[in-house]
Amino acid sequence: MSPARIGGLWAACAALVVFSFATSRAVAGDLILTGAKPDRLFVIDAATRSVRSEYHIPGANGLVSVILISPDQKLAYVLVDRLERVVGIELATGREVFRADLSTPDERIKSFMSMALTPDGKELIVYELPTRLLSSEYVVEEPRFAVFRTDAGMLAKPIRSFPAPRRVHMLLMRPSGQSFYAVGFDLYEYDLKTGKLLSTRGIQKWALADHSQPDLLAFWPVTEPTGVWTSPVYSELKKGAETVPMTALMSLDVKSGALTFADFEPLSALIFSTVLSPDRKHAYGVYTTLSSIDVEGHRLEKRVPLDHTFYAINESTDGRELYLGGTECDVGFYDAKTLDKKAMLKLPECPDQSVATLRVIHGK
Amino acid sequence: MSELKPTNHKADLLLEALAEGHVAEVLAMESVAGCATTFDPGWEVDPFGGVASLCQPMEADLYGCSDPCWWPAQVPDTMSTYPNWDAGKPSAAGDWRDLDSVFPKN
Repeated sequence: MSPARIGGLWAACAALVVFSFATSRAVAGDLILTGAKPDRLFVIDAATRSVRSEYHIPGANGLVSVILISPDQKLAYVLVDRLERVVGIELATGREVFRADLSTPDERIKSFMSMALTPDGKELIVYELPTRLLSSEYVVEEPRFAVFRTDAGMLAKPIRSFPAPRRVHMLLMRPSGQSFYAVGFDLYEYDLKTGKLLSTRGIQKWALADHSQPDLLAFWPVTEPTGVWTSPVYSELKKGAETVPMTALMSLDVKSGALTFADFEPLSALIFSTVLSPDRKHAYGVYTTLSSIDVEGHRLEKRVPLDHTFYAINESTDGRELYLGGTECDVGFYDAKTLDKKAMLKLPECPDQSVATLRVIHGK
Repeated sequence: MSELKPTNHKADLLLEALAEGHVAEVLAMESVAGCATTFDPGWEVDPFGGVASLCQPMEADLYGCSDPCWWPAQVPDTMSTYPNWDAGKPSAAGDWRDLDSVFPKN
């Protein structure tokens, strides 16, 4: 099967229009990518707050989750089919150009939201959780990283694999292409070619003085626009005989490898995901509220309530707008300085975005 | 285990297997029977002991929980066992009336 753009007769002539949009997009501004139930991939024009194109992903089977953008910004790699299939979708046409079905009849393989692309776009690394399905029992097998060539077409199989730790929920490629990070109970770095574990740095085993073991929820692998991935981290700070729940900002520069944790407020609201501003001075977090964080001052700057909970956040190229997504069927546009709502785009037919990644292809 | 007594033949066999070292290590299930990717308690309370900091409305969080099997005790496991639970119901807020209960399969 091949992806089918919806829209009836319009679809037949839309490909050329979309292609011309895609090629001139860099001048026009940002494009936002999100997924929604049961099989939908949306490309949104941030400037006009409108859906530029929409595709149905064959075999998505009700779940469109992690979205990666190829380095040339022409393809989206999407984890679908209840975490058992990765597809590559050409953004200009909606054509499916890559498919990796992880499971086999004997082995059910889920990738818990964890995959990454090499900087040259030639290899895709997928974290696999295999379970051997026997006639009378299931056997939990060891997790592994499987590497696929992205030019492998519609029947892609791993070209190599190597052991992985348990409880990984996100991968982040380093710009050198020689290694990648796996975010789990701790932060692991693996050599891409050999599979050798290069380093382990603490997350649960962090070394923050007087802090309890932290709690982290992170499966939004957003490093745009800065090349820095950030996330809220929760822990208890010991103050004398008492403890105070604190929220910290975890920051990982995937280029330099710099990893920091810094409390910025006593826990007063939950945050699911964050994004760092282009000047790296502010971080913005989202959940049922929208928060602005002074990164250098380690303090909460502002917080506003939202119409409903959003899981995912991203930011415009110029840093002036925040994009909110995930959960329900609308994408929010907020002013980064005031946190005022500027617009809401309701996706056609109002499908839930659920846990889909909200990506931005940045204009130049 | 030393404080537990087997009450049937199968439990007896388990103790024998334990004694002989044949019982495999218990691993976090993650994606095995059902899914249970987390041991978080669920929707009952937020970190402050109330409900104000839970997802608003609850429907905003419904598929975010069933899709990655976050809280399989409260929502069906769509990752492995009930993949069609949400079929034809793309909006939890709009389709919640049609999201039925599920029951163990024979």
